[in-house]
Amino acid sequence: MKIIVFNIQGITVCLLLLLGLASSPCSAAAPSWRSLTPIQREALAPMDGPWDILPEIQRNRLLETAKHYPKMTPEQKKRYHDRLEKWSHLTPEQREAARKRYRAFNKLPAKERERIRQKLKAEQASKAQQSASGVSATTVTNHP
Amino acid sequence: MTNSLSPEKIVQLLTKSTQQLDVATLSALADARQNALKYQSAPVPGFTLNSASAHGSVHWADRFIPHSVQPWIAAGLLAAILFAGTSYWQHLQEQQIDDTDVAILTSDLPIEVFVN
Repeated sequence: MKIIVFNIQGITVCLLLLLGLASSPCSAAAPSWRSLTPIQREALAPMDGPWDILPEIQRNRLLETAKHYPKMTPEQKKRYHDRLEKWSHLTPEQREAARKRYRAFNKLPAKERERIRQKLKAEQASKAQQSASGVSATTVTNHP
Repeated sequence: MTNSLSPEKIVQLLTKSTQQLDVATLSALADARQNALKYQSAPVPGFTLNSASAHGSVHWADRFIPHSVQPWIAAGLLAAILFAGTSYWQHLQEQQIDDTDVAILTSDLPIEVFVN
């Protein structure tokens, strides 16, 4: 019984030490903009300005996403660049909420996802048409 | 009729009746006792924290590792396994977050769908 008690004490000590280490976030120092590779700079080009003032954890996460950049299609690369700045301005809570929504969307049946896609595309087209007609109307009225 | 027999009286009666049993019955009872004792001393497979074997023979670990160090080694091994498991689980979580971020940033759906 003494051996068992001793063993449990040992396990507790080792566990506390090791789990403390395991639960600490990946603290690899995030590189500065200058020390990025050309491919990383190309991927993260929109972040050129604010890169060095971003929190380390965010820089590390963006670097992880940048690893996928070479495999992206030109269209995906464009979207990635267009969205990077907005994404980096979000709070960690907003980003986590967005991830949850994305996962929830992905769990929907394929038909339902497609229906939502079509609906959103129609809405976007309608908005684009409205703004285009608004601009042309303004141009016409301003013309002498 | 009263049934008030004292425990001592019961023991006496049982001893007396045992003595009256025939040889064949006594032999059968002795065999049954031996069988029961054999069954009781048989090793039961299962996990034990103590490394000493149930047979009383020297365990292989006792030959190479001092007995006082064995609990620490066991604790260290268990902690290392748990540490590896936790690290692996954390790595998977991180990877899932990175994949989701890439998917949101490159999705054909506008980012506003997922971001308020």
